[in-house]
Amino acid sequence: MSDFLKLEKLTLNYGGPTPAVENLDFSMQASELVALLGPSGCGKTTTMRAIAGLMKPASGTIMLDNRDITRVPANKRGVGLVFQSYALFPHLSVFENVAFGLRLARVSSADIKRRVDAVLASVGLSHLADRQPRELSGGQQQRVALARSIVVEPKLLLLDEPLSNLDARLRLEMRSELSRLQDELGITMIYVTHDQAEALALADRIIVMREGRIEQSGTPEDIYERPVSIFVANFMGFENCFELTGGKLKGIAPAGFETGSAAGIAWRPHAVLLGQGAHKGTVVGASYLGQVVEYLLSTPLGDIKAEALASAPRHGMGEEIAFDLPQAGAVLLARR
Amino acid sequence: MRFAGNTLLTLVLIFLIGPFVIICIAGLSGGETLAFPPQGLSLRWVQRVFEIESFRSAFWLSISLAIGSTLLALILGIPAAYALDRYNPPMAETIRNIVTAPIIVPGIIVGLALLRHLVVPLGIPITLALIIGHTALLVPYAVRVVSASLINLRTDVEEAAVMLGATRLQSFFKVVLPNIRSGILAAFIIGFITSFNQVPISLFLTGPGITTLPIGMMFYMEFNFDPSVAALSGLLAIMSLAIVMLAEKLLGLSRYV
Amino acid sequence: MFANRRLGILLLAPATLFVLVGFIIPVLILLAGAFRTGDAWSFANYTAFFSQPLNREVFLRTFRLGLIVTAVSAVLGYGVAMAVVEAGPKSKGRLVALLVLPLMISPVARTYAWLVILGRTGFVNVALTSIGLTDAPLRILFTETAVFIGLIQLFFPLMVLPLISSLENMPRDVVPAARVLGASWFAVFFKVILPLTREGLVVGGTLVFVGSLTAYVTPAILGGSKVLMLETLLYQRVSVANDFASAAVIAVILIVMSILTNILLKRLASVRRRR
Repeated sequence: MSDFLKLEKLTLNYGGPTPAVENLDFSMQASELVALLGPSGCGKTTTMRAIAGLMKPASGTIMLDNRDITRVPANKRGVGLVFQSYALFPHLSVFENVAFGLRLARVSSADIKRRVDAVLASVGLSHLADRQPRELSGGQQQRVALARSIVVEPKLLLLDEPLSNLDARLRLEMRSELSRLQDELGITMIYVTHDQAEALALADRIIVMREGRIEQSGTPEDIYERPVSIFVANFMGFENCFELTGGKLKGIAPAGFETGSAAGIAWRPHAVLLGQGAHKGTVVGASYLGQVVEYLLSTPLGDIKAEALASAPRHGMGEEIAFDLPQAGAVLLARR
Repeated sequence: MRFAGNTLLTLVLIFLIGPFVIICIAGLSGGETLAFPPQGLSLRWVQRVFEIESFRSAFWLSISLAIGSTLLALILGIPAAYALDRYNPPMAETIRNIVTAPIIVPGIIVGLALLRHLVVPLGIPITLALIIGHTALLVPYAVRVVSASLINLRTDVEEAAVMLGATRLQSFFKVVLPNIRSGILAAFIIGFITSFNQVPISLFLTGPGITTLPIGMMFYMEFNFDPSVAALSGLLAIMSLAIVMLAEKLLGLSRYV
Repeated sequence: MFANRRLGILLLAPATLFVLVGFIIPVLILLAGAFRTGDAWSFANYTAFFSQPLNREVFLRTFRLGLIVTAVSAVLGYGVAMAVVEAGPKSKGRLVALLVLPLMISPVARTYAWLVILGRTGFVNVALTSIGLTDAPLRILFTETAVFIGLIQLFFPLMVLPLISSLENMPRDVVPAARVLGASWFAVFFKVILPLTREGLVVGGTLVFVGSLTAYVTPAILGGSKVLMLETLLYQRVSVANDFASAAVIAVILIVMSILTNILLKRLASVRRRR
């Protein structure tokens, strides 16, 4: 099966000294949902804008559905884009916002009515069809933006941090709604985000970007369980990362643990065992998080974050406690 | 403190607005010469205004000139404002300075320059020179007001239109234009009033049968002391008041001044 | 959207060319004429212009009236602007509309009203003689006072509107804060309000000063040939004497003064802000 979307040696330049994105290669299958994940400035939004056609690549090619679209103008690519700011047309009602693309495509008005009504129903906004965008809440505007993009049935739908302007509860709700829509419609989607929880929950595959390059690409499990670098590990909640030089760092790697040629080793806070073991540290911070208490320990190895059940006996500030970095919870990192 | 402030405010408002009330009353005079308080009240001078042929032709010239040059200034100014705001053109600052230059050059110089160095050497008609002069004066207003409303319209709204299949032209007409409509309307009203009331530019640009209304009034009052100019002034004041009230109701004009 | 320079140039070209050909070039040719005597470049026109006592008088009068009108507008402007801001948002809209209104009315109509008020048989003289303050009507028309009154009415709104908006943009509660700290009203104005509204003052001051320098209608109607200002002098030189050399000299003076005022005041505002 050939790739549905394929970027080859894509280089994108904003005119700065270094390119925003350099020699990017990636491909995805139809109906896949890929998350582009990374901190701001990593090039994920730039890459998305290039796929959309809003930015000219300095070099490289973009193939969509076996067609080279590198030079095709944005309005002829069949690519949809949901903007971070929603970018609803302020002068048009909800219905007309959604109908905009269909009207441009000269769809008959009976069909427009049918299709817009259907898509509004599927995002639960039928009752708001006559409202103006400014009368809607953030979550509702988000749904209009989504409806507007999917009603024209794009080959590929791009979503730029679509949930970042919503509050925590709405974000969860919209996240499951997006999941549902993707299952129902089977649209190929690229989801740009800096939030790893969103990426893990939604994506079939995650591409972690860093400074204009792909750092790691894989299933959510791959990325979460087996980060390849300290950068990805940090991003995925491994708070305790250590560099290994020459495959060894005395005192950290558990006895008998073969680190091979790994460049780093990492533990999540809950993997650190408190109250026993060869290492010692002083409690310099403690935060009660509900089920668990998170301790910050000052140790000869550097700061360590560890979690203990809230029901366990608490440790006071300044208390010196023993801890262990066990082999069971350790992850080896191939790169820095 | 507050009392003193309000007293001052009232006095200043009387100073600013009072003369218009007085001129309206003076225009209703029944006497032969201009005086206040007027000798009796009548509508004869108001009626007379409409009979004076030079006022009538000057009025129509001023109206057509104001509408024509405002429209022309908008046609030139809207694309310019749009390009300056969105396309980041080369030498943007220089071009902005060029198109807004007419606002800082005193009108009388413009009128004289157009007469001496455009009308006379190139033999173009006076009316065309009037249109050029007035349009040049209004281009800066058009560019400024339209720029101000473009700033409030985020670029991603246009990108959204493109992503839904619109060409650049379609996105301009279907998305940009409807959203800066009130700015354009404001620019039109300001432009119309500015042109209609303009004196210095038109001062030298007169010819046989070609005089704008304000200039015609000034010529007339040099030799006539009857209350007809007062009556006409009152009518113009009322017309401006109506336009301002309409504009304020439609779009809150005071935001743009 | 990616910047499309060619389209940008295409959109800018009509306006730029129009203003260049229909405005800037003719004006520049006119201004250049001020430095031509016969076929040579010289300053002879200037020496000739300023050697005439009348011209010097007009020049100084224009400058003086401009300064006085600006100063008086500023003083009155602060009082009015503060009263407007204190009046609360509801009446504010209406007050601003009243202040804007005169700007929309034909300056000829505006100035003509003063003819009715200040003339020999006008409102002021009728009032004065009827209460017996004067026997013969006072001569107010065709004096600097009349021109001053007309200019103030014409340009006061241009001062007060920027003052209102900069007063509104002042951080909230700085005035009560200064009062609580023991500042007198005098100190509050000079140490708090004035520095914080300097930009509005500069904008308004520029508009009023340049407006007064380049006024035509008001001095023409209320000053006549007795109280000439630079623009009325220019008109007179051209229409009465066909003296285009003097006209060009006046044009240069007017443009240089307007541009200098704009630059100077802008610099003043930004220097103070940086401090």
